[in-house]
Amino acid sequence: MNLKNVQAIARKEYYHLIRDFRSLYLAFFIPLLLILLFGYALSLDVDDIRTVVVDHDQTPESRDFIRQLDASVYFLVIGYLTDTTALEHTIEQNRAILGIVIPPGWSANLKADRKSPLQVIIDGSDPNFAGSTRAFISAYISQTNQKALLQFLNRQGLQNIKTPVEGRIRVWFNEDLESRNFIVPGIIALIIMIVGALLTSLVIAREYENGTMETIRSLPVQATEFLLGKAVPYFLIALVDVLVAILMGQVLFGVVMKSSFWLMIAASCVYLGVALCVGLLISALTKSQLVANQMAILVTYLPSLLLSNFVFPKENMPAVLKMITYLIPATYYIDILNGLYLRNLSLTYLWPGFLVLLLMFFLLSLLNVVILKKEGL
Amino acid sequence: MSWLRIRELVRKEFIQLFRDKKNRPLLVIAPLVQLIVFGYVVTTDVRDIRVGLIDQSRTPESRRLIQAIDANHTFRITHYLNSPAELDRLLLERRIDLGVIIPPDISSKIHKRETAEIQILADGSMSNMASIRISYTMVLLEQFNAELLRELYRKRIDYGEIDGRIRTWYNPNLDSQYFYVPGIVAFLVMLLSLLFTSMAIVREKESGTMEQLMVTPLRPSELILGKTIPFIIISQAQMVLVIVFAILWFKIPMVGNAFLLLAATFIFLISTLGIGLFISTVSKTQQQAMMTNFFFILPFFMLSGFVFPIANMPTVVQWLTYLNPLQYFLVIVRGIFLKGTGLGVLWPQLLGLAILGLLVFPAAVNRFRTRVD
Repeated sequence: MNLKNVQAIARKEYYHLIRDFRSLYLAFFIPLLLILLFGYALSLDVDDIRTVVVDHDQTPESRDFIRQLDASVYFLVIGYLTDTTALEHTIEQNRAILGIVIPPGWSANLKADRKSPLQVIIDGSDPNFAGSTRAFISAYISQTNQKALLQFLNRQGLQNIKTPVEGRIRVWFNEDLESRNFIVPGIIALIIMIVGALLTSLVIAREYENGTMETIRSLPVQATEFLLGKAVPYFLIALVDVLVAILMGQVLFGVVMKSSFWLMIAASCVYLGVALCVGLLISALTKSQLVANQMAILVTYLPSLLLSNFVFPKENMPAVLKMITYLIPATYYIDILNGLYLRNLSLTYLWPGFLVLLLMFFLLSLLNVVILKKEGL
Repeated sequence: MSWLRIRELVRKEFIQLFRDKKNRPLLVIAPLVQLIVFGYVVTTDVRDIRVGLIDQSRTPESRRLIQAIDANHTFRITHYLNSPAELDRLLLERRIDLGVIIPPDISSKIHKRETAEIQILADGSMSNMASIRISYTMVLLEQFNAELLRELYRKRIDYGEIDGRIRTWYNPNLDSQYFYVPGIVAFLVMLLSLLFTSMAIVREKESGTMEQLMVTPLRPSELILGKTIPFIIISQAQMVLVIVFAILWFKIPMVGNAFLLLAATFIFLISTLGIGLFISTVSKTQQQAMMTNFFFILPFFMLSGFVFPIANMPTVVQWLTYLNPLQYFLVIVRGIFLKGTGLGVLWPQLLGLAILGLLVFPAAVNRFRTRVD
């Protein structure tokens, strides 16, 4: 391999990029946009669930029940209505997710030590949101019940009764339970795929489409030199993107890496290598930019978003898709990032992920070289 | 304007699209693969909580608690452990979601009528799911408490218990496919129409055949129509394909009017094709066009209410969503698909789409025309 040749190809690709000012500009701007969107606007955490209440009971007890519900971080009472039809209307029109109807005589029943029904209506159209709502309202009701039970027992003359067991819940790794703490690292994986694989998937196809592949074949350039030269500019762009993403995550959103920064850079480089290989492979195989682009979205971008255990847990997937997640490089990279960002893990825990990514990298680059050699390079 | 010339251009476009053997399967397979993967994957439902458990007490009381956890169908005890260090390790390796440590004094504390503390370690890394797991754990413990109290103090206790009768509307089983599959249909139509229009036009520029088209007697308006009609046809065909597949494969009932849906798709396509045209006027290479597409597609996707509820966004961002054609189309598709809503309810969305289309498309055509001239 001749470094001079690599340099020449890299310079050519670099000129392509520089001349194409907007591609370059977007390669930096899209990552910024993603991080900003996820940091500021998008959250998977369910809080302030919009709640409407119909209180037919109108007693201090019922008002207290609602006041405490409102005080919890999960619920936000946005309105008190007079009848159930109005409540149903509000939910139908999507203005509230949760409706609570307290029937007349509700607290009288409670005071008389009878079971007292409470109507709870959840808008289930967004199942993820509704699932959280259901869990939170169930927990709230059972908490209130436990207090009532203790009061009841104490009223029966059994003095000073305590709950038999109490859960001391401690949350690890993401102590504040903020979704951005795991989304920002995942976004880094997505950015690397967009810049590393989507952009490069057009690079060799373009040569074929414009007929310049013939020229390159006639040059004294080897397949490895050609590939390396094509990859280097994108490698550098993506690396800058990663650094910017780390910095923005930390400065703007307080998403701080708990483990080693250099380990993160090492993992990013390996994963970036894999992404570049996939992009170039698609490019060399399809030879058409339009097809390459479609293929790249299909085999790189979407799997990295959906099948990588990023937001959607693989435990919920059907067996076939679950198996596919093990073939997706992003699965390993996101796992490593999760370890570095949240769990403060070192290489002793993370080496299997590194190993798989390295293996993928070698196999894919070998495949790339073989295919280009076949094409006469 | 000559229909003959437009027809020939449309024909050329189709020949070019289908001549490439690799393109043919992509037009059909790509949307279907995306539909299937999205349909199965996009859920953050908590169905299975993996628990690692340390029983330091080994008494009837601790065994009862273990039974209570085991009997709950959401919890599954995967590991019985002896030391907290093992538990930490499993949590670090993401092999369990919850660690439960039952203290040695649970039995004595319960019998002395004091409170025994159960230590619970929750993996918070996926915060949305962790909050749900914690809520479920609290409910479980409170049920266990109620049971113990009943036994400790009386055989039957009838206290004033709130009986929460929770009903979930529209989607009682919280089946995520009902919600997401129609959404994917909308997203795919946008993705394909944007990408194909812009890249197909830029391809002509890049390979220099645009010059040739311009020396033909084709007028700019004919060129635009000839370039967009194929993609309207293809997008509508893909829409039908995807809908049929959604109904047959995912068994999503199509409650509403199919013609209304196709009409809405057409209005939606006007704005996406307008954006596609616009992208083609500002891009010189296909690489540029693709990046610019992503610049539109990503915010459209994120700010559409597809995965992230719009109500959760900051107010300023909520205003921005009014500029997003996918936001309107998503409401329409979900409404027609799941609730069978008609024009009476959906007209604001259709109007919004139409206004966006009428703003974007002529502007893009104008820009395209000046570029061609």
